[in-house]
Amino acid sequence: MDNILELHQVCKTFPRTNFTLDHVSFSIPYGSIMGFVGENGAGKTTTIGCVLNTVSKDSGTIKIFGKELADTDTELKEKIGVVYDGDNFPAYWTAEQLSDVMQGLYANWDNDLFKKYLNDFRLLPNQKIKSYSRGMTMKLAVAAALSHHPQLLILDEATSGLDPIMRDDMLDVFLEFVQDENHSILLSSHITSDLEKIADYITFIHNGKLIMAASKNDLVYNFAVMRCKESQFLELDPGDILVYRKRDYQIDVLVSNGNEIQRKYRNAVIDHVSVDEIMLLLVKGERV
Amino acid sequence: MKGLLKNNFYAVRSSAKVFSAFMFLLGVFVIVVVSQQLLLFYMLLGMIGFSMNAVASMGKEYISKWGKYKLTTPVKRADIVKSYFINQLIWLAVGIIFAVIGMGLSWLLHGCPFGQSIDALLMFSAGISISLFAGAIFFPLFYLGGEERTGVFLVISLLCAIGITMAISTFINIALISEMTIWKIILKAAVMLACSLLALALSYPLTVAIFRRKEY
Repeated sequence: MDNILELHQVCKTFPRTNFTLDHVSFSIPYGSIMGFVGENGAGKTTTIGCVLNTVSKDSGTIKIFGKELADTDTELKEKIGVVYDGDNFPAYWTAEQLSDVMQGLYANWDNDLFKKYLNDFRLLPNQKIKSYSRGMTMKLAVAAALSHHPQLLILDEATSGLDPIMRDDMLDVFLEFVQDENHSILLSSHITSDLEKIADYITFIHNGKLIMAASKNDLVYNFAVMRCKESQFLELDPGDILVYRKRDYQIDVLVSNGNEIQRKYRNAVIDHVSVDEIMLLLVKGERV
Repeated sequence: MKGLLKNNFYAVRSSAKVFSAFMFLLGVFVIVVVSQQLLLFYMLLGMIGFSMNAVASMGKEYISKWGKYKLTTPVKRADIVKSYFINQLIWLAVGIIFAVIGMGLSWLLHGCPFGQSIDALLMFSAGISISLFAGAIFFPLFYLGGEERTGVFLVISLLCAIGITMAISTFINIALISEMTIWKIILKAAVMLACSLLALALSYPLTVAIFRRKEY
């Protein structure tokens, strides 16, 4: 399967903060949504910065549409839509002025499509962005990112701070976007419920390292959490344990093959696991 | 480039409107009151004020994530820098127009405001030089020291620009010891303009090199 975005062993160190993005590798196939999950400061924005060339990587390769993105690669940038968390555009602009500027930046800027999004999102073209609510600024950013017909949408915490209804509206827009098989989305978020709804693949990052990458179906249907007593835990085959976390009266064990584990340990209590719980176990749990 | 220039225009527009209104009112006063010093001040203020206002607006982009977002659009970093330089020149031209109109009307109503008419050239040359030197110093400083220090860098670059222009002027006065003839005044104006243009031309690749290393 061809990939729209490929990261291979990407490293980046910030000596001042002592943060390191440590050999990050993942890929996004065409026509899919990749959820990029991690706590605040895990390295999601740095990874996206490396992808978009706003941060220069120390080593590794990043290929978008099969090519390394350089500063001068304006044709490649035409195919990428970006939404950052918070204020993407100057507060003194109106949506109309934003369109005016974007028209001069993107060869494929579609003013009619932008107007349609403004209409759909109920945004006034002449209203200053500074008077927008947070939800409205995010909708405007999504409208702008989609209005130059990108193939790859990169969303950095684009749904954080939105109320559930607005988030749901946005997720619908993203799902509609990937109906085209040539389109893909990299969606970084710490709101895992959003990713459970729309992502095809989920990649977990923690302290600058990728700790897991799996398809959502795999996570939903195969991953499970065993609730064990200490004596049961000691009897487990270490090969079955991905991570475990000691709680007050039990030990939660993350396993990647719930059905097999159920057959193997008939007395074990095995629950379905949410992406949220997987993230907690991966971040806070211990490895055997 | 068109989008970048529009972006710069929107950034400057609101403060330029205020400054234009101020310049208009001050211009009326300058034309009514016959004062050579006030006219000189008005001309310099127009040439320096508009371009400094344009330069100062760069910092506004970094209050939001637009400065970072812009890097993801189909533009090169060198083009972003180039657009700022062009923007400064455009607003300098606006300032020159104000200065020309102010001086022209004053001249028309009250006669030549200078000792000799060629002195007007020197005034324009000084105003343009200060403006260009200030830009040449500010742009690399802006990227080197961080967007949050826009205010202090603006003051530093303006003071340095005034100092450099005065130093060039003094140096030429000393070098040309004898009485200033028309040709010597033209030469002085030309040297000041040439030096400031050279500084701006050298500042561009330096600013691009610094900006290319910046991470957002």
